[in-house]
Amino acid sequence: MTRAAPSFPAAAPAPAQPGPALGGSAGTPRISVQGLHRAFRLHGETVVAVGDVTLRVGEREFVSLIGPSGCGKSTVLNIVAGLLPPSAGQVLIDGAPVTGPLRKVGYLFQKDTTLPWKTVEENIGLGLAYRGVPAAERRRRVAEMVRMAKLEGFERAYPAMLSGGMRQRVALMRSFIVEPEVLLLDEPFGSLDTHTALGLHRELLALWERTRQAILFVTHNLEEAITLSDRIILLGRRPSTVKATWAVNLPRPRDVIAVRETAEYLRIYKELWHALGQEFQPAGEAP
Amino acid sequence: MRRGRGGILFWQLLLVAALLTLWEYGTQVAWLVKHVKLLDPFFISSPSAIVKRFVFLLDPKLEVSLLDRVLNTLLHTLGGFAVGVSTGFLAGLYLGRDPYLAAVCEPFIVAFNSLPRIALVPLVTLMFGFGSVSKIVNSWLIVFFIVFFNTFEGVKNVDGDLVNAARMLGATPGQVTRSVYIPSALAWTFASLTPAISFALIGVVIGEFLGDDAGIGHLIVLSLATLQAADMMVALIVLSAVGIALALVVRRVEAYLLRWQPRYYGAAEPPH
Repeated sequence: MTRAAPSFPAAAPAPAQPGPALGGSAGTPRISVQGLHRAFRLHGETVVAVGDVTLRVGEREFVSLIGPSGCGKSTVLNIVAGLLPPSAGQVLIDGAPVTGPLRKVGYLFQKDTTLPWKTVEENIGLGLAYRGVPAAERRRRVAEMVRMAKLEGFERAYPAMLSGGMRQRVALMRSFIVEPEVLLLDEPFGSLDTHTALGLHRELLALWERTRQAILFVTHNLEEAITLSDRIILLGRRPSTVKATWAVNLPRPRDVIAVRETAEYLRIYKELWHALGQEFQPAGEAP
Repeated sequence: MRRGRGGILFWQLLLVAALLTLWEYGTQVAWLVKHVKLLDPFFISSPSAIVKRFVFLLDPKLEVSLLDRVLNTLLHTLGGFAVGVSTGFLAGLYLGRDPYLAAVCEPFIVAFNSLPRIALVPLVTLMFGFGSVSKIVNSWLIVFFIVFFNTFEGVKNVDGDLVNAARMLGATPGQVTRSVYIPSALAWTFASLTPAISFALIGVVIGEFLGDDAGIGHLIVLSLATLQAADMMVALIVLSAVGIALALVVRRVEAYLLRWQPRYYGAAEPPH
């Protein structure tokens, strides 16, 4: 948590609304996770990271996956990305089972994954280069992204010369420039300070308003989840299952600052905080 | 006592001047020479004699002038270095990417590497004769393993998240190798190049000891046979100059190729 929970008028907390974690739109969901289970062998013992997770992300939908740390959120995301095979269950993207990374699926890591030996513009254009996009078109599209990210003047800088926030902006632009139809984000702003993170929320929403791809966003930050999402899915502690979902009925486009002062935001925040508290268990009492 | 940058240079020059003076004039004092074997000009010659022999050996009318010798040694060193670095790099890259193959090859590599490479010089000479090939093979055998082990470690230490990031951006396996594995491993490979160039020179000079008529190593064994300490000193000084020049060139190339690393672009603080 990066800031204290806002204060509320004294009232009993409204109950969370348990319900199926289904996408809001009709038709084939962009992402469909069915009965996902994942176990790891660790020092000869089996650790269940993901118990039984079923969820969907619809067309043009921005869904956040929250939950206590160690609940397997990132594992779910890595399986959806095709970077990790499930132990049981399956993931469908546009109705087809995922067996490895797909070009229409983008991924933004929490860790800085800009390539340190490539300049800012080379990093942003990386996905285009992999796809064999001609140099002239690549330059044009990279220049546009550089302008949007306000990174003018740093085109030829190497990542080590940039601040953490600037590097993550490069990574954000690098994910969007290839125009993915589905975007997976694994706590991409988790290591940034609040102020820098707010700036990146604004840029993420601005980019997303133009293309509206399906997004599955993993975070432990409630403010971030409410500010950005259409729907929030809460995973319980390990072995994780879906505990509840919330619809975020805040109008778009959203102002990342002003939205935090709305009644809807505060209501959802309070419910999430309460529900997350139910999942909290002091260390040493793990089941 | 003077301190600071200029001060250091001052003391260094003073030390060199003192040593040269002792060398030049100490070797002329009969009593000293008699009691201090190290100052006997028969063994260590003297600066003025060395300069004379240096000028003499440079004469292009000689059958093999000093310049010819330098070029010969330099060419074989660069040849062995180039072959050793490229094969060592490719082998390290390949085995680093294939743990199964690496496990199969490991005992053979360890066994071969624990053999002092110098012991192989006579065998190499037996196989390839007294010409250029022997010298290049000698330095290749040494350079290969230095570069191989570093590259192999570099590939194994590639950040898995960078690999995944590239895969998620749509990179094919070949593109992942070119854009992530190779640049990442190169940082390790380059760290081995400065020792590698020095060892390449060692391999060549030892080859020249055994059989040669044109390199600096040949001048060294020749001056031993003819008991010419001045020639030997000329050869050693030239050899060390060649070694320093090669190391400096390699370092410049390394700094250019690794310009993305903070220690080479020299930025102190990232901008905000």
